[in-house]
Amino acid sequence: MANWIPTWLHRLGSPPTFYRFAGAVRPWALALALITGAIAAYGGLVLAPADYQQGDAYRIIFIHVPSAWMSLFIYFAMGVAAFIALVWRIKLAEVVAMESAPIGAAFTFITLVTGSLWGKPMWGTWWTWDARLTSELVLLFLYLGVIGLFHAFEDRRQGARAAAFLALIGVVNVPIVHFSVNWWNTLHQGSTVRLLGPSHIDARMLWPLLTMMLATKCYYVASLFGRVRADLVAMESGKDWVKALAVEETA
Amino acid sequence: MTVSTGAACAALLRRDLLLAWRRRGDIAMPVLYAVIVATLFPFALGPEEALLQRIAGGVILVTVLLAMLLALDAMFRGDIEDGSLEQLLLAPQPLALMLAIRIFAHWITTALPLIIISPLLAGMLHLPTPVMGVLVVALLLATPLLSLIGAILVALTAGTRRSGMLLALMLLPLCVPVVIFAAGAVAAAQQGLPWVAPIAWLGAALVLALVLAPLACAAALRIALDA
Repeated sequence: MANWIPTWLHRLGSPPTFYRFAGAVRPWALALALITGAIAAYGGLVLAPADYQQGDAYRIIFIHVPSAWMSLFIYFAMGVAAFIALVWRIKLAEVVAMESAPIGAAFTFITLVTGSLWGKPMWGTWWTWDARLTSELVLLFLYLGVIGLFHAFEDRRQGARAAAFLALIGVVNVPIVHFSVNWWNTLHQGSTVRLLGPSHIDARMLWPLLTMMLATKCYYVASLFGRVRADLVAMESGKDWVKALAVEETA
Repeated sequence: MTVSTGAACAALLRRDLLLAWRRRGDIAMPVLYAVIVATLFPFALGPEEALLQRIAGGVILVTVLLAMLLALDAMFRGDIEDGSLEQLLLAPQPLALMLAIRIFAHWITTALPLIIISPLLAGMLHLPTPVMGVLVVALLLATPLLSLIGAILVALTAGTRRSGMLLALMLLPLCVPVVIFAAGAVAAAQQGLPWVAPIAWLGAALVLALVLAPLACAAALRIALDA
């Protein structure tokens, strides 16, 4: 009776099933991302009150902070997929890990750009050698290293496994980098949103932030599923299910 | 015929050092590179003693890091070309231990000469003499760390053809903590502050890497050569 969950997960691991599943989920995730994103943008840019110190300039937080969360979340997701790919050699996990990397790199890049745009009016400089900024930059380099290593191999699966291993080394290294850089120098404001204990943020500012977080998560799912679908078709182009799919499309 | 693990380690170390000794010119290359890079800094920044003194520790660390990066690329190349790496993979001795010996041999032939000339570089950049001891200690702990981390990444790129720039892209983010703590120790010593804490962190990281990096290196090599 309770067997259907593991059975379903096993089936989902096979490329044709995942291709159909991802195709069904993707439009919903994308729609949800656009709707919640629009609501969050309206709530953040129009409804939320201005900050007593930073005025209206703080409103970039509604892009900056969700992107920063996503940059770490996607690295974590990539690390989990990489671990599964290396331990159980599941083809789908390799594809998920490798297709997560460019999305994560994009979010990291957005975080850095919006951070520097925010830094100019607040700190008076585009860039400063601060702990959080520097660890985010190092995170971007880690993403680029994973992407670069993946593309350096001629064999896709071998490249994916090597890059997955590099991603796991990065998972060990990210906390060390963060800690050592913190020890080195810090200027960035502390966290205002906490999972445990009260947040130091007004409720009218908090809900757009959390809604935007939901929007970015949905966007990640939609973008990832689209990329994985394309990758699966390319990788399995010789298999029967792809041929059947092509016949179905043209008919 | 089976060979005991100890004898195999000794044979491998002897072979690697002998091969390096036969090509002594290659050992001199990273050293020359480091000397030339360190010479360029006064040309670019001006010969002002106070400025050079302030940046000397950092410049020497980064120079040594770059010189090691250039030498790392060759760590497994010869062995892949002549097939002896496959023999090492097939050997009954544990691969991680064999790789640890290889990394040690590589450290002796590339990093040790750099450490030996580091006081010379420090002198060129007017680093105060009492700080030189701290610099050498920091390098003694930081360079094996770089060799160990670098070996994992070199093993990962072993199956690819173009690896030089890629290696730099992968290695440099991972060595940020090493650079921070090593340079931090030198800077603290220069300002007359206690410098033991960053050195102790480096030592702790080295102990951790000594245990884990050869295992990771072996796993990476198996992935990269699994064609």
